[in-house]
Amino acid sequence: MTDRIPVNPGTVEWCGDNPGIYLKQDPEGDWSSLAVYFRVTLSPHGRGHIMLLLEQPDSAAGFPDANNLCITDNDALTDYLLDDFIRYFPTFRGRAGIDGMSRLPMKSRRCEGDMKSVYRELMSADGVECCLEWRRLGEPFAVEVTPKDCATGAHDMYSVFFEAGDASISVNGVSFDGRVTDRLFFGQTMSTAFLAVSETWVRPRS
Amino acid sequence: MPLESPIHPGRVVWTGENPGILLKEDPDGPLSAVALFFRIAWSPAGRGTVLMLYEDPGSAASLPDAANVLLSDNRELAEFLRLNFIAKLAAFADAPAFSALTHVAITEAWPEGDSNSCYREQVRADGLEITLTWDDLGAPVALELPAELTGGKEHEAYNVLVECRRPEIRLNGRILPGKPGPRVQAGIETTSAFLYFSESWIDPATA
Repeated sequence: MTDRIPVNPGTVEWCGDNPGIYLKQDPEGDWSSLAVYFRVTLSPHGRGHIMLLLEQPDSAAGFPDANNLCITDNDALTDYLLDDFIRYFPTFRGRAGIDGMSRLPMKSRRCEGDMKSVYRELMSADGVECCLEWRRLGEPFAVEVTPKDCATGAHDMYSVFFEAGDASISVNGVSFDGRVTDRLFFGQTMSTAFLAVSETWVRPRS
Repeated sequence: MPLESPIHPGRVVWTGENPGILLKEDPDGPLSAVALFFRIAWSPAGRGTVLMLYEDPGSAASLPDAANVLLSDNRELAEFLRLNFIAKLAAFADAPAFSALTHVAITEAWPEGDSNSCYREQVRADGLEITLTWDDLGAPVALELPAELTGGKEHEAYNVLVECRRPEIRLNGRILPGKPGPRVQAGIETTSAFLYFSESWIDPATA
């Protein structure tokens, strides 16, 4: 290890959990459906929970015409994450679904499972029950990346990751199309379904 | 920052949240009350919520004489943390209350407030209503601690430290006595009341 210092001199932006599921119908093609979940314990806009689903990532349609929706219990936090983080993530960058998705106030949420085999995040809004399910979970591993390897290209990021061999995204009991595939991540071939917990994003000191 | 590779070569021991409050009535005296809270996302013993509470750290008694208790919604996890974490931290393990810790089942637990200003953890069990409050909070700082800077000195740790200057432990409506004292962590002068978010303990021995 090199240049290890115990106190990161940068500014903590937010911390919490940030699992995701990215699916493809054709492993060589573009993403067919995307989901990302946030349980934020600390941010400039307080705590909160956000579930973002894009069944048609490149369509500017919202719910119920398309299952492009964002359920949240904190609108200011949602705006902050969208504008400063999600829109920079390579998988979400330039997706029309982000602009067209419907935003719905959260009615309930819960998690199930144990992160050893199967884990679920469930969230509901008026007329909508959403479920993200990760299956065949691997062992946890810690990651620590600099802006060079970070999804935004601008932050230090710490997290604990679990790869999922299989996963699904569903709305009102109907699963989105697509399968988990592989991608290059942290310099390794990894699954496109993952749990990411105890995540911390830090803006480096300029 | 940084590792040579983005993936830490060590083994994750547990990950979650771990805020605490250590109070003294006399700055040079013993602890007067302690609360150490865990919201664990992953451990070998599963997920769950655990609260170690010393109503009377200097007493080797437990309920009904003193609420020196280990509350949890996952007893296996509580035991895992008692043996592998709490027992290795002198501030907790050296207190007479440690040997008296009894398991109590949590019926309900939830966070409240804003981790920028005033944050609370509420814990309920049969006959016990506990409110932990962290008020007058400082700016968050990300720490990446080598083993020599962690309690127990066995594991590396990542976390976000939020300093608290006005904590409170309330047990069944009664505020437990004492004030936070000064504490130095990784060269930072802070207090003995803190929020620790996004905390992960890593065993570097397997690296």
